[in-house]
Amino acid sequence: MRSVEGRVLAGMAGGMATLLVVFGLVVYAVIRSTLIHEFDASLISSVRLLAASAEREDEKIELGVDLGEMPEFQGKGAQAYYELWGGDGRAAARSPSLGTDDLPNLQGPVGEPAVSVFELRPGLPVRAAGLTLRSERTEGREDAAHPVTVVVARDSRLLLRQLRWLRGLLAITTGGAIALSLLAGTLIVRQALRPLKVLAAEIATIREDNLAARIETADMPTEMVPVKRRLNDLLARLEASFKRERRFTGDMAHELRTPLAGMRSCAEVTLARSRSEPEYRSSLADCLEITKTMEALVNTLLRLARTEADSALPRRESIAPADLIDACWRSCCEKAGRRGLTFENAVRADLACASDPEGLRLVFSNLLDNAAEYTDQSGAIWVTGLRRGSVVEVRIANTGCQLSAEQVGQVFDTFWRADASRTETGTHFGLGLPLVRRTLLSLGGTVTVTLEPGGVFVVRLVLPAG
Amino acid sequence: MRVLLIEDYRPLQNSLAKGLREEGLAVDVTGDGNEGLWYATSNDYDVIILDLMLPGLDGLSLLARLRSQGKQSPVLILTARDSVPDRVKGLNLGADDYLIKPFAFEELLARIRALVRRGYQQKNPCVEIEDLRVDLAGQRVWRDGQEIALTRREYVLLEYLVLRGGQTVSRSDIWEHVYEFESSATSNVVDVYIGYLRKKLDGQGRRPLIHTIRGRGYRLGVET
Repeated sequence: MRSVEGRVLAGMAGGMATLLVVFGLVVYAVIRSTLIHEFDASLISSVRLLAASAEREDEKIELGVDLGEMPEFQGKGAQAYYELWGGDGRAAARSPSLGTDDLPNLQGPVGEPAVSVFELRPGLPVRAAGLTLRSERTEGREDAAHPVTVVVARDSRLLLRQLRWLRGLLAITTGGAIALSLLAGTLIVRQALRPLKVLAAEIATIREDNLAARIETADMPTEMVPVKRRLNDLLARLEASFKRERRFTGDMAHELRTPLAGMRSCAEVTLARSRSEPEYRSSLADCLEITKTMEALVNTLLRLARTEADSALPRRESIAPADLIDACWRSCCEKAGRRGLTFENAVRADLACASDPEGLRLVFSNLLDNAAEYTDQSGAIWVTGLRRGSVVEVRIANTGCQLSAEQVGQVFDTFWRADASRTETGTHFGLGLPLVRRTLLSLGGTVTVTLEPGGVFVVRLVLPAG
Repeated sequence: MRVLLIEDYRPLQNSLAKGLREEGLAVDVTGDGNEGLWYATSNDYDVIILDLMLPGLDGLSLLARLRSQGKQSPVLILTARDSVPDRVKGLNLGADDYLIKPFAFEELLARIRALVRRGYQQKNPCVEIEDLRVDLAGQRVWRDGQEIALTRREYVLLEYLVLRGGQTVSRSDIWEHVYEFESSATSNVVDVYIGYLRKKLDGQGRRPLIHTIRGRGYRLGVET
C-alpha cells in the first residue's frame, strides 16, 4: 500500500487486532483458569469430605457420610460420582450414580489431591479428584503398602459449555472492537490527512507559468507549517531562477537580433539584383564579419555556461598573480599604447594565491582588457596586491570612469553595457564581468567593484592564498 | 522620396542604405542619436527609420524631442526590442510604425512606401490621372493602356509629382525629396529628368501631362 492513509490504516488495524486478540486470549485464560480452579476446588473439597469419613473396620472400609445428605451422588440425574478404592486395589464403595462404571484409581502423594479429566462414558466428560489416604489404623498392617484412595468426579459439561460460550463472546467482542477501531481509525486518519490533500491540491495548481503563486492554505496543522514554508521558499527560488533564465534567453535573443538583421538585410539587398563580382565579394565580407560577431558572442556564452556548470575548477596550484598580470597585460599593450595609457603592476612577486591558472588568466585578461578600453585617454591603470590572513587581495584601478554610482552596481548583470547602443557590437557583449564573477566564484574567490573619488574605477579580487 | 536612416550597427546601416538607394529612395544615414536629431529637425523627410539603442541620444528620446519640435515626418522604429510595452511606448511617443529586427527588406520597403503614401494622403497604391496610371506599390506606369518603361530616377520623380496630386512642385522640393545631399548633381538634374519624363509620357502625340509653371516649378495633370 503506497498511500500514507493506507499505511496508517493498515498499521492501526494490525496493531489493534493484535492488541485485542491478545487481550481476549488473556481474558479467556484468566476466566477459564478461575472457573476450572473453582470447579476443582469444589471437587477437592468433596473428596476431602469423603476421605475424612472413611472408616476401616476389620477388613472392611466404609464411608461414614450420610448419602442422604449428599443428593448429588444419587439418582438418575446425579452429576457427581465417587468411588472408594481399598488397599487391595478393589472398589470398596461407590456412588449409586456410577451405575456399572468405575472411576479411575487416582493415586497420588498421601494427602495431596490428584486431578484428572476424562470421559466417564461417551458424551460424558468429567473432572475427577483423587485423594490417597494412609490411615493410622492401617499402619503396621500387611496392606499398608496399598493405600486407600477416594475419587470424586463431577460432570464437566456445564463448565465446558460456559467456556465455549466465553470463547464465542470474546471472539465476537474482539472482532467487533477491531471493526469499530478500524472505522474510527479511518475517520480519524482521513481527517488528520485532509490538510495534506488540500496542500497537494494547491500544489497541483502551480505550474511553470504561475510560479509567483504561493501556498496560502490557512489552518494548517503545526507539523505542516514548516513544510508549507519550505515549499514557498522553494517556489520563490524557482520563480527567481525561471525569471533569470527567461531574462537571459530574452537578452540573448535580443543580442542576436541586430547582427541577424544585418546579415539578412545584406543578403536580401545583394540578391535583389545581379551584381559585379566585387560587389558580391563585399557583401560576403560583410556577412562574414557579422558571423564572426555572432561566433564571438556564442563562444563567450558557452564559456559562461561552462563556468556555471563546473562548480569548482579542478586545478588548484600556487600562482604568482604578479607574473600572470604581466602576461595578461601584454595582449593589451598595443591598445593601451595607442591611447597613451600608463600601466603599473605593483603586486609583489612573492605574493601567491591558490587557484586554477587558466581560470585566473581569464579573469585578469578580461579585467585588464576592460581597463585598457575604458580608461580615459592618457589615463592610468595600476594593480596592487597584498595578503590578508588566508586570502590574497588584488586591486585593479583605472582613471576616467564615466559610470554613475547606479551603473557601477549593474556591471555584473549579464548583457549590461553602459552604452546600450550596438556601436560596439562585436567587441563588447556585456558578458565579460559576469564571466569574471562566475569564474572567481568557482575558484573560491569574490569580486567587487567600487567607484572612488576622482572617477577611479576599482575592481577588488579576493582569492585563497597559496 | 527622402529617407533618414538612423542606425548605429554599421553592417545593417550599410546594407539598408544600399538597398533603399537601389530602390530609388534618397537616403541620409547616421549612426548617432544627436546627429540623427539634427538631420531630422533640419530637413523634411518623407520617412525616418529610427533604431532605439543609439549612442549619444537614444531613439525614444530623439523621437520625443522631434515631436516636441513639431516635426511631423513619419517615423518607423526599427529595433530588436520586441516587448509590447516597448512597442506601445514607441507608438505613444509619436512613432508611426514599428518593425522588429530581424526583418525582411521587402517588408521594410513596403512599410516605408505605405508611410510615404499616408504622408501625402494617398492611400490608394494605384493612381490614375487622365489616361496615366501609376502603380505606386509595383512601381509601374501605363499611359493609354500601354506600359511605359522608366529608369529608377525617372520613376521616383514621377512618383513624387503623382503624390503631390496636381500641386505645383518647385525644383527645390523635388531636389530635397528625390535626390541625395551627397549627390554631385546640381538642380539642373531636375530639369534634365523632367525632360526625359516628358519624352516618355507625353511623346507620340499624347496630350501633355507635365506642365512647367514659370517661376514656380512643375505640375502633373491636365492643363486647365
